[in-house]
Amino acid sequence: MALTHLNARGEAHMVDVGDKPESRREASASGVIRMHPATLALLADGGLPKGDVLATARIAGIQAAKRTHELIPLCHSLALSKVTIEFQLDSARSSVEVTATCRLNGRTGVEMEALTAVSVACLTLYDMCKAVDKSMEIGEIHLNSKTGGKSGDYQRLETGAPIVTGECAAGEVSLGTRCDAISPCIRVKCLAELRERLGVGELSVPLASLARADVAGLKEALKEQDPRFAKLDEGRVLCAVNQVMASDTTPITDEDEVAFFPPVTGG
Amino acid sequence: MIRVQEAPFDSGVEQQAMLAGRTDIGAVVSFTGLVRDFNERPEVRALTLEHYPGMTESSLSDIVEQAESRWSLDGVCVIHRIGRLAPGDPIVLVVVASAHRRAAFEACEFIMDYLKTRAPFWKKEHASDGDYWVAERESDHRDAHRWGTC
Repeated sequence: MALTHLNARGEAHMVDVGDKPESRREASASGVIRMHPATLALLADGGLPKGDVLATARIAGIQAAKRTHELIPLCHSLALSKVTIEFQLDSARSSVEVTATCRLNGRTGVEMEALTAVSVACLTLYDMCKAVDKSMEIGEIHLNSKTGGKSGDYQRLETGAPIVTGECAAGEVSLGTRCDAISPCIRVKCLAELRERLGVGELSVPLASLARADVAGLKEALKEQDPRFAKLDEGRVLCAVNQVMASDTTPITDEDEVAFFPPVTGG
Repeated sequence: MIRVQEAPFDSGVEQQAMLAGRTDIGAVVSFTGLVRDFNERPEVRALTLEHYPGMTESSLSDIVEQAESRWSLDGVCVIHRIGRLAPGDPIVLVVVASAHRRAAFEACEFIMDYLKTRAPFWKKEHASDGDYWVAERESDHRDAHRWGTC
């Protein structure tokens, strides 16, 4: 596949889009800024010295989308019909996810606009919060999807999304203590929709923290540790001990694997 | 034979493999489940199947064993896919061989009914208006209850 921004001599050039038909084009991009949990709490409560962080970052992202052609050398200037910037605060990962969507009826794609909007919104979040946290990290900036145009639709494959549940990236679990070799421990997994609802995939619970060594006792200990686990009592939540279906009265011992999950929906 | 895999499968190939060299089989029933483009919401663009490795395989083995204890079967093959799938993609295959058709029909249906309510798979559907986790269906439980113990 050839690079369209290079001419026959390999020099950079701007693609002539004058003869391309107009079509409705949309692109969505996202990125993440990780921060200290205390910074995220201040951001959520509006307690940061520079004022309303999210509103400022939203405006910055929209402005950036409109000025993409000034920043990226071979981008055309586009009359965008819509730019939206959304923020998702994730306390489990202690981060803010920024998603930008750009749209226009025109002759060229808007993915650079969406990516620029996300980047500048993340930078603005950094600027707004840096007084209290300089260790913030921006990452995972990528195109999610793009529709319209000759090159066809694109949908990012969620290779990062677990198809094997109960396994998450290092550092994703902020709860509980890791099992060490000495004290007896239970490995707890939350699967599928429950994992997303709780924001926890995997954690370890010391056996000693259980008042009763069974599933009901484990649930109590989890709720004591974090109020989010009250959701274990909401709706139908199933449980397996060492991969065999279990109930509240199933006994638990050291090194057991206990999984909580919603009703199954395969087939 | 039980397999959990990301790759597509070919029901014809699987059925031929089961029947190869056998002349005592009088009936083979094959069921293929496909991804629909509508479900709880219209315009389903894709779905992602999660599972619980280890327990998935053991629960499928258990379901097959139960079928083999109820009917006289000469071969059972269950393949379930995981990962991201698009509408039209095959998602699950159950092939059952027996000397007589009744056993093959019933055992195939039994395996699917039990799989729907017992095997740890979860579907997340990606529709035009967003992603959502598929909810369990009362009708699936009624189907599984038809077979008695549940």
